[in-house]
Amino acid sequence: MLDFNTVYIMAYRQIKRFFRARSRVIGSILNPVMWLIFFGLGWSSLFKAPMAKIMFYGLDYMSYLAPGVLMMTIFMSSFIGGVTVIWDKEFGYLKEVLVAPVSRTASIIGRALGETLTAMLQGVAILIAVLLIAPLLNPLGAPLALAVGLLVALSFTSMGITIASRMKSMEGFHMLVNLIMLPLVFLSGAIYPIDNMPLWMKGIAYVNPLTYGVDLARWLLTGVSQMDPVFDLTLLLVLTAVMIAIASYAFNKATIE
Amino acid sequence: MPREVVVAEGLTKVFDGFKAVDEVSFRVVEGEVFGFLGPNGAGKTTTINMLITLMKPTKGEAWINGYSVLKEPDKVRRSIGVVFQDSTVDRELTGWENMWIHGVTYKVPRDVLKRKIVDLLGFVELDKYAKTQVRNYSGGMVRRLEIARALLHEPEVLFLDEPTLGLDPQTRAKIWEYILELKRRTGMTIFLTTHYMDEAERLCDRVAIIDHGKILVVGSPEELKRMIGRDVVYVKAFDERSAKMLIGEVARRGLALSYASPSSNVVSFTVEDAHSFIPEVFEVSSRLGVHILEVKYSKPTLNDVFLHLTGRELRDESGSWMDFMRARMRRGFRRG
Ligand SMILES: Nc1ncnc2c1ncn2[C@@H]1O[C@H](COP(=O)(O)OP(=O)(O)O)[C@@H](O)[C@H]1O
Ligand SMILES: [Mg+2]
Repeated sequence: MLDFNTVYIMAYRQIKRFFRARSRVIGSILNPVMWLIFFGLGWSSLFKAPMAKIMFYGLDYMSYLAPGVLMMTIFMSSFIGGVTVIWDKEFGYLKEVLVAPVSRTASIIGRALGETLTAMLQGVAILIAVLLIAPLLNPLGAPLALAVGLLVALSFTSMGITIASRMKSMEGFHMLVNLIMLPLVFLSGAIYPIDNMPLWMKGIAYVNPLTYGVDLARWLLTGVSQMDPVFDLTLLLVLTAVMIAIASYAFNKATIE
Repeated sequence: MPREVVVAEGLTKVFDGFKAVDEVSFRVVEGEVFGFLGPNGAGKTTTINMLITLMKPTKGEAWINGYSVLKEPDKVRRSIGVVFQDSTVDRELTGWENMWIHGVTYKVPRDVLKRKIVDLLGFVELDKYAKTQVRNYSGGMVRRLEIARALLHEPEVLFLDEPTLGLDPQTRAKIWEYILELKRRTGMTIFLTTHYMDEAERLCDRVAIIDHGKILVVGSPEELKRMIGRDVVYVKAFDERSAKMLIGEVARRGLALSYASPSSNVVSFTVEDAHSFIPEVFEVSSRLGVHILEVKYSKPTLNDVFLHLTGRELRDESGSWMDFMRARMRRGFRRG
């Protein structure tokens, strides 16, 4: 039986910490808005030609990009949130968690949930911005797109936790962020389609869970998708469950040695 | 028979072939303050880590509150409060929030918890800073918060790993006061480690002296000091050769109980009576034609006990400038 008390209090901690770090709150919302404005508007003025529309499956570039930026925001925020376990190692708090008489699975699920909720908050903010900037989107799909965001957030928080549980120090942190986060964004179809990529890039794109989240969110917001939405959803659900299980395993194994 | 709250039998920890803790056995009874006294690297923290279920012993077994650390880690965890050597608070949160999260995690009922947080923050005199983010606390305040937090769930036994390491003298005195007050008021069983002999002497009912992972002796500070003799006489000779000659002759005549040499030309003798030994040592030196620069004597301290057991000095007394700087630097690096 899952210990909800522990799930709750660990989620509470992450949410408290998030709001305490004001720069993180502002940055996390500002960052995607910058993408939308400077990247989105910049390229859409270039992609006015009819040929361009074909490239983006009949969508104008802004509408193509908007669901991608939404998922990207949720992805980045949740992944970094998960990786902050390494901070707890560095600043000692991990010991306080490990010595407590509670299930580690519960505490890691609570933590993942807390980070997920903060990522969703940013998702809502971005979604509102997106609906304003790209008016062709279908607002009715928005709540469901957020639900997809929830799955994406849960799976990438878990991935972050898994990686952090295995890391010894914070040294590799920035490299990790650049080496994992950026490629996963570029290879997800969030900012350009994956169809014409070199084969090896395509390969990575297809094992990247974010690809399916982006595709599904795009379908919900624009009606256009590259894969069968049911397939997207099934895969995303399975991947999320697997990621949580791996994270919980890795955290159960975490020691101070 | 008082209840045994901590029992260790043959605890051993090997890191890559290096024995950090070597066949350590001891018992702590209810209401006792029991201390591990030993220099840096003696194996104190490693022992605590095994007792509190954070490390698996390579060999041996321990029981806390009757529960096996190997087989019933959850029950052990429920029985203990821990203040780690390095701080384990969440610096982004306030003191109150740190307490709240701990209390809820340990399933203290919410109404009781609210009251206890107020009581305990009052006890360590942090009530005014309850709503301040811990990142703005001083090192001493963090330590006090951690003590309060460890008491929140009313543990059977409190573990304190070097509770005053790197704190300034006033703060150290404060922390000692809290620990003694805690003992007086609640009869809490406490296991603490330290490398400060004055701290061990002041706080502990019984002390185990530990070096290179081994317990050398266990006893009350009084017993340990009595064990080596009534008085300690330090003799500073002109050079190493004269010190050696003095030792040889004193030993041959059986004038002292034991001797040790903390530095090349200094000898520390333990004796039954300094008043009769000092004239004798002068007589010996003039007979040998050896020059004595300085003589002083005192009652034995735990430092002398350590010196006569190991031939080396324990670290300086608490509050040394070096310790303070070292801890400062460590904290500074961590923040960056
Ligand atoms: N995780 C570890 N891996 C390898 N060696 C360790 C580890 N932890 C401690 N040691 C070594 O074990 C010895 C005892 O360390 P420790 O228990 O921290 O000593 P103390 O707390 O008495 O200063 C030291 O020599 C230390 O370097
Ligand atoms: Mg230590």
